[in-house]
Amino acid sequence: MNPLKKLVNSSEKYFTGSGKFNRLKPLFDATKTFFFFPSPKTKHTPFVRDSLDLKRFMSFVLISLLPVLIFGIYNTGFQAGLARGESYTFFQAFWLGSRYVLPIIIVSYTVGFLWEILFAVIRKHKISEGFLVTGLLFPLTLPATIPLWQVAVGISFGVVIGKEVFGGTGRNFLNPALTGRAFLFFSYPVSMSGDVWVAAKSAVDGVSGATALSVLAPEGEKITSALSDSGFSLSNLFLGFVPGSIGETSALCCILGALFLIITKIANFRIIIGGIAGLIVTSLIFYLIPGGSDSWMNAGPLFHLCAGGFLFGISFMATDPVSAPGTNPGRWIFGFLIGFLTITIRVANPAFVEGTMLAILFMNVFAPMLDHIVVKYTASKRIPNV
Amino acid sequence: MENINVSKGFKVALTGMPDLSVIQIPDPETIAVSALDIPYIRPKLLVKKNDPVKTGTPLFCDKRNKCIQYVSPGTGIVKQIVFGQRRRLIEVVIALNKNRDEKDNFIQFETLSSDDVNTVPRSNITKRLQEGGLWQCFREFPSKDTADENHEPPMIIVSLNGNDPFSPYPQVVLENETAFFEFGIKILKQFSNRIVITSRQDNLSSLNRLNGLKEHITHIVPDFYPAWDPGVVLYKLKRTRKENRSWCISAEHLVLMAKFLLTGRYPVKRVVTVTRSTDKKPHIITRQGAPVKNLVGSLDDNSLITTGRFNGRSVDPKSHMGFFESTLTIINNNQEEEFFGFIQPGLTKPTASKTFLSCLTQTPKNLDCNTHGEERACINCGYCVNICPVDLMPSFIIKALLSDDIEDALNYGLLDCCRCGLCSYACPSKIELTKLLSHGIDAHYKDRE
Repeated sequence: MNPLKKLVNSSEKYFTGSGKFNRLKPLFDATKTFFFFPSPKTKHTPFVRDSLDLKRFMSFVLISLLPVLIFGIYNTGFQAGLARGESYTFFQAFWLGSRYVLPIIIVSYTVGFLWEILFAVIRKHKISEGFLVTGLLFPLTLPATIPLWQVAVGISFGVVIGKEVFGGTGRNFLNPALTGRAFLFFSYPVSMSGDVWVAAKSAVDGVSGATALSVLAPEGEKITSALSDSGFSLSNLFLGFVPGSIGETSALCCILGALFLIITKIANFRIIIGGIAGLIVTSLIFYLIPGGSDSWMNAGPLFHLCAGGFLFGISFMATDPVSAPGTNPGRWIFGFLIGFLTITIRVANPAFVEGTMLAILFMNVFAPMLDHIVVKYTASKRIPNV
Repeated sequence: MENINVSKGFKVALTGMPDLSVIQIPDPETIAVSALDIPYIRPKLLVKKNDPVKTGTPLFCDKRNKCIQYVSPGTGIVKQIVFGQRRRLIEVVIALNKNRDEKDNFIQFETLSSDDVNTVPRSNITKRLQEGGLWQCFREFPSKDTADENHEPPMIIVSLNGNDPFSPYPQVVLENETAFFEFGIKILKQFSNRIVITSRQDNLSSLNRLNGLKEHITHIVPDFYPAWDPGVVLYKLKRTRKENRSWCISAEHLVLMAKFLLTGRYPVKRVVTVTRSTDKKPHIITRQGAPVKNLVGSLDDNSLITTGRFNGRSVDPKSHMGFFESTLTIINNNQEEEFFGFIQPGLTKPTASKTFLSCLTQTPKNLDCNTHGEERACINCGYCVNICPVDLMPSFIIKALLSDDIEDALNYGLLDCCRCGLCSYACPSKIELTKLLSHGIDAHYKDRE
């Protein structure tokens, strides 16, 4: 028998029934079922069940995040190297990046899991797998320079207020990771905006460390050429060798992750395609409006698509099934409006350089209403059977 | 023949398909009439323990309509009347006569010749069927209750296929029964103007050998579960609200009905299949109400015996087959808790999703009776919506039902649910959607009563 299984079996008595640590049963269950996949006998018809369960469902989101995560770690080190005026090898950059990024991820998972366990113990239910995703998504939306205590505060807010007060995974209406990020964004604007995007930039003066979205062209120059001058050429933005949140910089890696989610049908392609369509249409409309050639208004769809966190948000955040609509027409509208709002906020609201986070959270609030309208409409099209 | 276009359903190939050969097993010592597979029945017993009964003697009737009787499918004495919790009738067990000469002592009912069908009033046929214990073959939508004799159904759906993918194949069940089948259709025409007869696409060519039975088929359905379910067929065919109260009957029962009216004797022969993922067993000819034990043999492991893997009930090996049941599916219990099971590539795991490598292969898969995960809250992923053959949104309906909003649930089409079980099958959160929907339909039925 597997030695781990022996250990689990021998320690089970402490966590169940009147065992010493019976209050920590959810923690024990979560650990046990992580290693040994539970598969009890069915009790009701149908007596056969699909092999897919929520653990696998959520693990697939983690797999889809791997390219983004690995590139994010590398890019953190790479940007720090640029700022210090040194050129690192891949492994040096990756090593330096992981020294910034891994602590953030560890803090996010640890603090988040503590809250999950606390709520599971109090409510006497099982620990849901939803947090596996939240715990990794949240750090990827942060700048690598963020103080770790803020990570802890942010994930606490995201898990407790964004999710657990409503009853846990499946009952939240906002994306918990984005809720946490929004909390940090508004509570600690100094660590979340401006020149915070490059780790170790203080080593050399004159490195701005701002993101592409905060670039403004000087009088008479076009925004696209101003972007290229500051190092934000389209290819750099697409590949991701630019400053930004840990996970958001590489459009290519986001697309890889999105493709994986679409092919395995874990994420709904309607949200992603609808979102990209919304972004393209809206940015084209702004592009065609005369004037504003020195601002992002005139950047055109490609720059809008590759810059900032839009692709990251639409692929991994907006597709969270719990906070997105559950009907197909609803998903199209939801995605489209996220694209529309992202551009509108980027272009029309000078207070926020990036609009993806607010657009997704805003549409999360409207998802139940979209569902309501669609469900009522489809019900009215059925031949009544009462 | 028209094609019915069903796009959603269970499309994974399964192992354990029954063989098309037929064997006959000797008569069992006991047979029974089960009450568990009769919808909404409130039985009133008409016999006592140790009463002698003939083939065709009424054993119990339905309190809701006492004319509807359930008769003994054999001659002998009432050996036992089994009750379950709260004295719910489970089955009436009859010990068959061992004496070979008077083995089957039939009660002789009035016969009806093929020419008289059109002249006898409908009420007369109804009465004969009710006395003979075969009226219940007619089931009425939306709740698939026993048909109401006073209702004129706008449509009667005859299904050549049973409830499970591996129910007895029509070419075996209906072999040499074409004349009875045609007589049955004549009877149906007394009840409704529109008779719909459906067959699975893949069975079609093998029906050629059934002396022209194929010509009667009006609609062809695709070959994946549950496209042939009468509930799905009705959903696809209905155009008006009135058609919600259509009737359905299986071809096998239609033949029983025809035999009964032509010969005046209660027909007792039935064809059943016993399937198991590792076997390829022949069809079995046996008596109605045969003991499960005789059909499945000895089972020493922890397997589950059901009368349909998606929509049957779980049966005790000591009990007997019900009137509406024609298949026994033995589902293996895989008790092993796989190490890191949630992230295995899964080349052989059956799934309706796209998250296992198995979705790339066409090899038949083996389903076991395990949940593959634990119950969680609904995450609104839409897997149930994507598989429901009648275009329901089970996730939204159960939320309405759980908040006691039956009106909303009905508006969303609750009563169109054909209880195929696929929503529960596909749910990654392992929510008992079918059970909740089923309870909703039953609650609505009781409300109406």
